[in-house]
Amino acid sequence: MTEYQKEIMRFDKIRRIEHWLLFISFTTLAITGLVQKYPNNAVSLGIVTLLGGVQIVRIIHRISAVMFVLEAIFHFAYMGYQLYVQRKKATMIPGVKDVVDAVQATSHNLGLRKNGPKMGRYNFSEKAEYLAVIWGLVMMGLTGLMLWNPIFTTKILPGQFIPAAKVAHGLEAVLAVLAILLWHFYHVHIKRWNWSMVKGTLTREEMEEEHALELEEIEKGEVAAPIPPVVLSKRKKIYYPIAAILMIVLVAGLYAFVTFEETAITTIPPLEEQGTIFVPQTPTPVPTKAPTATPGPQAELPAGPLTWETGIGAMFEQRCGSCHGAMGGLSVKDYDSLMKGGKTGPVITAGDAANSPALLKLADGKHPGQFEPDELEKIIEWSNAGATQ
Amino acid sequence: MVQLKRTHISTLFPRLFLFIALLIAAAFALTSTLPASAENDVAPAAQLPDNTQCLLCHSAPGQTKEFSNGDAKSVTVDPQLFGEGAHATVSCQSCHANISGYPHPENTATTGREYTLQYKELCQQCHTVQANELMDSAHTKLFEAGNLDAPTCADCHNPHADKPFDKVEDGSLTGASHARIAGICAKCHSTIFEEYATSVHGSGVLIDKNPDVPACTDCHGVHTISGPTGEASFRLTSPNICAKCHTDAAIMDKYGISTQVMKTYIADFHGTTVTLFEKVDPDQQTNMPVCFDCHGVHDIRRADDPEKGLQVKENLLSTCQRCHPDATSNFPDSWLSHYIPSPDHAPLVYYVGLVYKILIPLVLGAMALFILTDIYRKVSRKRKKNGNNGGIEELQPPTPDFSQDSK
Repeated sequence: MTEYQKEIMRFDKIRRIEHWLLFISFTTLAITGLVQKYPNNAVSLGIVTLLGGVQIVRIIHRISAVMFVLEAIFHFAYMGYQLYVQRKKATMIPGVKDVVDAVQATSHNLGLRKNGPKMGRYNFSEKAEYLAVIWGLVMMGLTGLMLWNPIFTTKILPGQFIPAAKVAHGLEAVLAVLAILLWHFYHVHIKRWNWSMVKGTLTREEMEEEHALELEEIEKGEVAAPIPPVVLSKRKKIYYPIAAILMIVLVAGLYAFVTFEETAITTIPPLEEQGTIFVPQTPTPVPTKAPTATPGPQAELPAGPLTWETGIGAMFEQRCGSCHGAMGGLSVKDYDSLMKGGKTGPVITAGDAANSPALLKLADGKHPGQFEPDELEKIIEWSNAGATQ
Repeated sequence: MVQLKRTHISTLFPRLFLFIALLIAAAFALTSTLPASAENDVAPAAQLPDNTQCLLCHSAPGQTKEFSNGDAKSVTVDPQLFGEGAHATVSCQSCHANISGYPHPENTATTGREYTLQYKELCQQCHTVQANELMDSAHTKLFEAGNLDAPTCADCHNPHADKPFDKVEDGSLTGASHARIAGICAKCHSTIFEEYATSVHGSGVLIDKNPDVPACTDCHGVHTISGPTGEASFRLTSPNICAKCHTDAAIMDKYGISTQVMKTYIADFHGTTVTLFEKVDPDQQTNMPVCFDCHGVHDIRRADDPEKGLQVKENLLSTCQRCHPDATSNFPDSWLSHYIPSPDHAPLVYYVGLVYKILIPLVLGAMALFILTDIYRKVSRKRKKNGNNGGIEELQPPTPDFSQDSK
């Protein structure tokens, strides 16, 4: 192992676990949130389907949000421990040096300076990212809780804050995700693969480039002197109860915020419960039956010799004429037409009523037009007598 | 027959009677089992008795057929209406194939409905497309579930009198046809029709005869009509029904109505959820409102209607409270009323968006610029090094190299 490849401890186990908690919750929030922001996108639809529907997506999003905030609460408690109990330096606070470092690093990159800046435990790019996470936590937390509790929010704030919060929540998410993909990925994955969040260490060479100042301090032995155990336990006795109370208050507050609002009813009753669908109009009354059209007053029965002219013709006209004579085929309009018959030939056999088709046709009583019995008697008589004109 | 005719009249009548009765019974048995089956081809009109022969009796007003349960059906056909109707050139016997000559064969129907249903399968012989569409409809499902009153073709379309629907050149229905359709549905859905008649759509159809305004079938479908009854999928797809017209600038611009309604709905919580439900899980029951939950179903009014219009803030609040019972007076403003945020409408939302639209490119741009300079240094250093050493890597000290970091 060369000097350059020497491993230098950078992150303890707690910090690394914190990073992975953040990684899991942030990634889950980003995926489950962006699919809701862009619901028409094919990729969104695929993810929503894969996760089992938008309701499950929302539940996952909220669980991840709670996880993210819990991690933040723990982070601040642990930070307090390091600052108060361990008296570590607040190395994440940005200052003028960071601006100078950024300018120097850029001019070095462009070849305008021979050397890059010497930077401390956290360089300007890391501070920018950390502060962005804090900013994101505040923005996303506030807007997220507003969206989670819209009824309560609008009791205090104007209604417009809800859609404004939604816009901010969505666009802040876009900013955060793109910043991670660009800034974080470049610095710790693309430029070189940084293993410090897995192994906890960086190589000396990496330290030289990115944290030269801290490296110098470490190598000069300028590490903080160990704190005497008595002092340490005294500080712990003060810090632990305060931190515990603060954490309980914050966690209780979070619990209250995510549980107290029953925003909306759970189902909308189906439409058919809102009214009867089938209500027929009052039906149009069926017309009352009109008197049968055909039968007229009974014609006077002919007296004396039975001929077409003396009454038989009139009976045919009255009983049969409305059809036969009006529609083609058999006509009873005059004697010759009747004797000529219809399509199937003659209908009256002179001298033989029993074999006259017209009279046979009437026999079963189903022909629409019928003679009265005494009329029929005369017709048969006339027919048997030779059916004379 | 010839033989029979020559026998004596006393023996002839009973035998002839029996023969005719058998013939009638056979004909009736045949036709009543196959009154409208598909194989019962429509005979060419020329071979069928002339319609005037039927109309000779059936044109007389007030004729009825009575059934054993007391029903009476009108059997009168108005020759004028029939002659002007869609079926003017169709022979009576094409449909009434079981009736020929007089007396008509006896019909076994005991009720008027039973009689109508004998003709149920008949129309599809010519109107196959429509009949197939009807197969999937809510009405057919009702019928198949045992409701014999569920409508069949002839309940909506009077085959003896109805004319084809009036259309304009492009094939769309005229305003008068829209009104006629509403009248047809009203026969069974009278209370819905009364609601509809008071709505902005109903008055547009029934009073103004405006073809841009939807009649029943424009939303519900014509023969394919699906039941809105409690099916989640109907609720979830219903915004598309409204969007069909309300996103069409060609129609909406005439009336100064926004075409952004669907876009703005989808952009909001309710619409996003409904869209996702519809695409991912169309049978999902939802508590999210669709268009008609806020605007009304058949009683849709203008947005500025004092009684129900959602531009009136009290109306909007009471609409919100139907699902959000605890909502207070600020709450309705959280819905942007289909407006796209602008300095005039929802300025807070507009400016928050604007800030981010500036912030995002600014932050990412600055990051990208720095990263580009960093890449430039790495590339140019590597190139210089390769130039100085004729391409041979220095061995001591080992220069930082991407590959060496992960051992």
